[in-house]
Amino acid sequence: MKKLFTILAIIASVLAIIFAVLPISNLAIIPSILALILGLIAFYLSKKTGQVKKIIQFTFLLTIMALVITTYKAVFIKTEVADTKELEATETKSEEEAIEELEELDINEIEIDESELDGIEL
Amino acid sequence: MPRFLLLILLLWSTIINAQNNAIAPGEKLVYTASYNMSGILTDIAQVTMETSNVKTSKATLLRLKCTAATYSKWDTFFKIRDLYESYVSPKTLTPYLYKRNINEGGYFKAMKYTYSHKTNIIKSVQTKKNNRIENKDFKFNLGSKDIVSTLYNIRLLNYESMSVGSKKTVTIIFDRKETKASITYLGKETINTAIGKKSCYKISLGSQSKILEGSSNNLLWLTADENKIIVYGKFKIPVGNGELKIKSASGLKN
Repeated sequence: MKKLFTILAIIASVLAIIFAVLPISNLAIIPSILALILGLIAFYLSKKTGQVKKIIQFTFLLTIMALVITTYKAVFIKTEVADTKELEATETKSEEEAIEELEELDINEIEIDESELDGIEL
Repeated sequence: MPRFLLLILLLWSTIINAQNNAIAPGEKLVYTASYNMSGILTDIAQVTMETSNVKTSKATLLRLKCTAATYSKWDTFFKIRDLYESYVSPKTLTPYLYKRNINEGGYFKAMKYTYSHKTNIIKSVQTKKNNRIENKDFKFNLGSKDIVSTLYNIRLLNYESMSVGSKKTVTIIFDRKETKASITYLGKETINTAIGKKSCYKISLGSQSKILEGSSNNLLWLTADENKIIVYGKFKIPVGNGELKIKSASGLKN
């Protein structure tokens, strides 16, 4: 049982650190909480038998690191769109091309104006 | 009898091409697209919907432009720079030209539809990486529209006259195929948004295709006023939910 909780705590803490460094850092909270709970259970079970393995302490360290990175990213890193020059250039070019293409089209107003309906008598 | 038939025809045409009293040139709506897993939100991209006038020697059209760009934190992993445009009649939002230019994590694709409403034929041009061009003409049914004009056309529906649970069917042309989609009116709801507390029309979207699987999983909230702008959207994706939240709105017609 002790082994199982230790392994699960290791997996959860590794996942937490991976999520924390990726752009989905907010999601690191879920494995972090899991790692803390599993780690505490493993710690408690180990203490009962009288021998606490260093690996459990290491999972706590990883989890705390993940939480620090997540908090730092949430507080200090701005959510903004950068590097839109290419997109802006595409937009301008696309509009210019569209105007040329629309010039060639035979735009006839096929739509029916609502006012036309008012004039109809049965 | 002929008069009656004419009236039916005219009413039908009005349903297909409802009058635009919600969208004006100069409108700009900015959204944040996020991924929601167990209540934890991760912002992925910024979606912008803009309108502007486009003048040709024959007519003035409305340009409906939608762009999607990933936030800088995502750019090194999966950079998205998408552009969707539709050039429509300002009165009825009938499309004349549709353009799509997508650049998603190195995958590039461009698509152009030129509508001929006289012959009901769309001339399409697809361009992929290395300038691989593919031309294809195909027939479309009366009232079928591209994805951008459909999104704006949703705002022209008269929800006040719709009863809760009533459905409208629209035909969307996507990737040169027509797909029927249903819009179900689910009633009014007041929600908190970045532009204030808004009374909204809640609608659900469903389709036969895989784009919008399940009718109750894809929901949209439109402001219950003359503008009927989309303020919130919720979409079911394999793990968790996708969300679209309004960030700012400017240049509204009413």
